[in-house]
Amino acid sequence: MSEERIRRDPRAEREARRGRAPQAEDIPTPVAAEASPSGRVRRDPRAERAARTSRAAEPATAAQPAAAPESESGRVRRDPRAERASRTGRAAPAAPQPAAPAPAPSGRVRRDPRADRTAQRQAGVARAETASPVKTIADPKFLILAVPDLEDARLSSHDKDVIGAARGLADAGGGAVVVLAFTGPEGVKDGLDEAGADRALRFADVSFAGYAPERRAAAVLAAIQALNPRHILFPDTGVVGGDVGRRVAVSLGDRVASNVQRVAPDRITRRGRGGRADFALAPPRVLLIAAEAADPVIDERYEARDLPAPRIEALSHVEDRGLAATDPATVPMAEADFIVSAGNGVRDWDAFHRVAAALGASEGGSRPVCDAGHLPRHRQVGASGTLVEPRCYVALGIAGAPQHLQGISKVERVVAVNADAHCDMVKRADLAVVGDVQALMPALERIAKERRHGN
Amino acid sequence: MAIDVVVLVSIGRHPVSGRARRADADARAVELALGIAGAHVQLVHAGDPDEPALRDYLGMGANAVTVLRMGPEADPVSVLSAHLSSTKPQIVLAGTRAEGGEDSGLVPYLVAQALNTPLVPGIVSLSLVGERAEMLQGLPRGRRRSLVSPVPLVATVPVMAPAPRMSAFGLARRGTIAVKDADAAADAARTAWTEGPARRRPKRIKVMKAASAADRVRAVTEMAAGKGKVLQNVPPEEAAKAIFDYLVTEGIIQAKP
Repeated sequence: MSEERIRRDPRAEREARRGRAPQAEDIPTPVAAEASPSGRVRRDPRAERAARTSRAAEPATAAQPAAAPESESGRVRRDPRAERASRTGRAAPAAPQPAAPAPAPSGRVRRDPRADRTAQRQAGVARAETASPVKTIADPKFLILAVPDLEDARLSSHDKDVIGAARGLADAGGGAVVVLAFTGPEGVKDGLDEAGADRALRFADVSFAGYAPERRAAAVLAAIQALNPRHILFPDTGVVGGDVGRRVAVSLGDRVASNVQRVAPDRITRRGRGGRADFALAPPRVLLIAAEAADPVIDERYEARDLPAPRIEALSHVEDRGLAATDPATVPMAEADFIVSAGNGVRDWDAFHRVAAALGASEGGSRPVCDAGHLPRHRQVGASGTLVEPRCYVALGIAGAPQHLQGISKVERVVAVNADAHCDMVKRADLAVVGDVQALMPALERIAKERRHGN
Repeated sequence: MAIDVVVLVSIGRHPVSGRARRADADARAVELALGIAGAHVQLVHAGDPDEPALRDYLGMGANAVTVLRMGPEADPVSVLSAHLSSTKPQIVLAGTRAEGGEDSGLVPYLVAQALNTPLVPGIVSLSLVGERAEMLQGLPRGRRRSLVSPVPLVATVPVMAPAPRMSAFGLARRGTIAVKDADAAADAARTAWTEGPARRRPKRIKVMKAASAADRVRAVTEMAAGKGKVLQNVPPEEAAKAIFDYLVTEGIIQAKP
């Protein structure tokens, strides 16, 4: 074998066969390659490969304005993640960020999900303190009138549902909600702005309190005359909203839609045939809304700007003699206003009956207590007993099984007395006393007798 | 002098089986009327006189029921108003709402408007003192309001009123049904409605604005702890005083000054 023979370059041969001349970049520049003593040029396969791949990587690096660091071999390193991000049009996940999120090379501000989550957790407290901005509807196209019951000058959840339904009707077409409130002399305890009222028409006169359906209907009719609302919404309750709403509808000569289950601007659903059928119809002017037919407004504030209330001249033939005294023991559990309830922690049953009588409360009990026969079955509170919704529920010696807590899920104020500081009832309670129920019951009875009855 | 009391009765539907029965609220109105001392009770029904469930009312002790014959979906208001305008009863009672049709609860209001008498809603008891009716109105949370009104008047009776007596078979057979033909106009507005079976809606557990499904699950399942005040290691006297003060400040009970 002679020394002069030329070393074969299989690659070059292949290219030549395909009709393509070997190009300058294809073949490594002979700068680095030293001539071997035999004179032939030595190939550096690694350098060749590097030169080839660096060319291939070029389009990707062009898409990325940031200069990718060059490796020692001189070739530009690929960043597959950045390539993928540029292809999908999304910013690549952030590298650990300093405090302020810097905009990504693509210009978008990068999210840090973990930082977001911690901020949310801290904001749970802060959000309640900072009031949300007030939404204002300056020039409404039409008005929706909502008339809440305001029993005890408070918005019930049913009242809030009705205002929420009015909100839905108004927002669907650029309208505004007017809440007509018979506030009583002391005003509404809950804010009408947070309930979703753009305008408020307040009747504070004491003559609207108690039994005054004729005067209330006259006030609503006067408001209808002044404002010409598209719809008038009432809660479909027995003796307040449902009654006034029907009087208004009869005076307007209009058909009322009662027991409305779903509200939309062009179609409503109302229940009939004893609760077995739904009727769908175009909404009439007066709507009596069932409970939970719409969701209330939450975490939002509206203007609740006061409108001038007209003077009402209407007299009633019916004389109101005030509330009659009722015996709390005869009131059905589901209707009871104030319940004192006993659990397994109560052993002195005479003391329990005495404290309930001294406070003027209806008696209730947990399932084990009724099972044991200490209280009749119809006094049982919970999932397998009665679902109660009194204004206040005093739980004596009840740990709070999930089934029992279901039964009191709608109660606003819970007072718990329990020996176990970690039981669920203490967690649920607005006021909890950790201690012995047996010792507390006589003390509570004594204070109630002293300060309620004066003996 | 006996006072004429008319009870407007309708045919109800059993909520589960769907069979015809006496309507619950109307039966309570009949019970209330039968309990009024010195009253002459008459029942009036607008509809089909051959309906067997009508005899359930007769079985409660009323001697006769006057039926104003009309079609099943006709509007009873004009028929009832015309009949009551001619008979002029002092007291008209009706259930708050029917349970077989539109159930709007508007009929007593329209009748009261036609008769030009006051209407008292939701009464659970009624007694007569001279020419005045003393009533108790049923309010939510077991409260009762005492009302006095001159007669004539129209009053509605809710399902909150005392339960009706049972229907006796013999009385139901012996009672008479007097039929009067009436021409009631068909209810034109109802034809535009579409009717379907009632769809049960899920009960609302909690109103909340949640960003994600995980938040919603957490809100429903987690016990919101630590929002209330907890008194530990407090003597019973002080704890009882704290509870009593809480009940007074929240307006649950009133303390004597």
